[in-house]
Amino acid sequence: MSRLFKKILVANRSEIAVRVMNACRTLGIPSVAVYSDADQNARHRLMADESVHLGPPPPRESYLDIDKIIAAAKDVGADTIHPGYGFLAENPEFATKCTKAGITFIGPDAEAIKLLGNKVESRIKMVDAGVPLIPGMKGAAKDPNQFKNAADEAGYPVMIKAAAGGGGKGMRVVHTPEELQPAIEAAQREALNAFNDDTVYLEKYIVKPRHIEFQIMADHHGNCVHLFERECSIQRRHQKIIEETPSTAVDHDLRMRMGADAVKVAKAANYKNAGTVEFLLDESGHYYFLEMNTRIQVEHPITEMVTGIDLVVEQIRVAAGEKLSFDQESLRQRGHAIECRIYAEDGENNFMPSTGSILHYSEPSGPGVRVDSGIRLGMEIGIDYDPIMAKLIVHAPDRDLAIGKMIQALNEYKILGVRTSKRFMIDVLNHPAFIKGETFTDFIELNMSERESSEDVLREIGAAVAACAATNGNSSGAGETVSSSPMTPWQTIGQWEIGGTINE
Amino acid sequence: MNSLEFIFDGDVVEASVERAGENFRVKSGDKEFLFRPEGENLFSCLVNGHKSLLAVVAHQGKYYIDYDSHQFELTDPSEDGFAGGGDAHGGDKDKIFAPMPGKIVKILVSVGDSVSIKQPMVVVEAMKMENQVNSRANGTVKAINFSDGDQVDTETPIIELEIAPEE
Repeated sequence: MSRLFKKILVANRSEIAVRVMNACRTLGIPSVAVYSDADQNARHRLMADESVHLGPPPPRESYLDIDKIIAAAKDVGADTIHPGYGFLAENPEFATKCTKAGITFIGPDAEAIKLLGNKVESRIKMVDAGVPLIPGMKGAAKDPNQFKNAADEAGYPVMIKAAAGGGGKGMRVVHTPEELQPAIEAAQREALNAFNDDTVYLEKYIVKPRHIEFQIMADHHGNCVHLFERECSIQRRHQKIIEETPSTAVDHDLRMRMGADAVKVAKAANYKNAGTVEFLLDESGHYYFLEMNTRIQVEHPITEMVTGIDLVVEQIRVAAGEKLSFDQESLRQRGHAIECRIYAEDGENNFMPSTGSILHYSEPSGPGVRVDSGIRLGMEIGIDYDPIMAKLIVHAPDRDLAIGKMIQALNEYKILGVRTSKRFMIDVLNHPAFIKGETFTDFIELNMSERESSEDVLREIGAAVAACAATNGNSSGAGETVSSSPMTPWQTIGQWEIGGTINE
Repeated sequence: MNSLEFIFDGDVVEASVERAGENFRVKSGDKEFLFRPEGENLFSCLVNGHKSLLAVVAHQGKYYIDYDSHQFELTDPSEDGFAGGGDAHGGDKDKIFAPMPGKIVKILVSVGDSVSIKQPMVVVEAMKMENQVNSRANGTVKAINFSDGDQVDTETPIIELEIAPEE
């Protein structure tokens, strides 16, 4: 096989950088990591074939520094850059500068990023394309009276959103007119910090919605298909923590209609490469276009598990000018997949960010269990970057089996030194409402505020296992002995193949 | 038989352990467990008829544990530097600390304000998210040591209260 590219620089860190490097290995293309002072020991740096130091930890001086990253690519002879998600992934200036430097940017072109990155402009475009939208402001505004009028017109509750937003940053729900002004200010501050743009807008807040998104893949030969839905309704602070596919709320007919509209969105934006069209689905089966994310998504692995398509490999192939390796008719959803995000946060204390050194690290394994991890033993988890450490993904013949497999895998996934939300997510997965598929975006508020404390058991079993460790002489600290062997990322990928049977 | 003491949530918990072949038989309180080593830092154990994998690692006088995805720490009281486990600022209800090193976005109260328990006091930004810190007591704001935009650590109180006498 002749190589699609000479060398791919991955302009990102943590689990997604490792994931992209996996795809590079699959295709036999050397990968290049970039890293900041905080990531000298990071897993993504060690995974790459070579690495380039960017600078101090603050993103502006490292992972967000366009000129440094392009210079790094030039230095090592990389002809391609994969941006991952976050950082520069949806920055049209970066895409443009890559092209000008003669480097292929793996993603859509700058025009599509610009259009879809601006939620106000993309709304107007999608109305024209005939895609259903949530009622609200037609454009951005600064004047508080415009917000007040728009809120009165749409009817409370309303939602304030950042025009350049994503990931729950710069978003506020407002229930009463009195809350409106403080919410706008808070959203503007968060938007300014996160996106360097304080433009916010207002729309009607849909009560009891589900978050349903469709994976899109489009090539440069006019082919544009969807790879079915992902349900991402389980969110805390408007950030997804558990995703699954298929959705319990989407039947064949609805799937075909939403998928067709998702393709319509991508075509209206002249979209190329992998992208995700987000919808809200209400209880009566109406759906509304939210936005299109112009990047590979955090939760892309669940789509890979049920379709057998390696989306990142496909991204690279499409960027090299190849045709999609599948068409709409050949795609099938096989079984059920769930992803749990492993954040450095305390699920028992309001998801407060958690920092520290990874003192122990061991991954679950087995058929249908996949770990996409950016961490390793001895690594320091600080406050400089997004707190996602890893993702745990399971695949099983049906939803009940997938839930059971996920609970077991979470319990076998051991990370000590930094808190996670593993226990919280197990309690979600065990909740009767989750098992029934009653997954709405208010699931956590509604079902998880009163959780039982199990402190009584912890006291004795904790003392008992500590006594075993003391007797056994287990006292390895971070970096002292590196004898646990985290599985190499490419060993953990792929229990599936196109047309294959699920072997369990 | 080896008897050990640990601190859990401020209380002393005892455990006595003996080897049983390659396994460990442990008594703690009125409960008895049999642990089987499963590799570095890992043990399996049958608890209430359900087999669990536990991870434990000792680091700087603390035992970090994951049992059924409950993550918690026990302190070894014999280690130097034991200062009582749990929340570092557990007793200081009259002081408001940042939960994480970060930047103060907005202080929501002024000196002299009377505040009630759970009232939002300050918004701190860390890891690109805004975190609201609430009062843990009823009282009056005595001092504010920072301004909006300041960087804070977790050791210096942002706001100090005069706690209202209990009724």
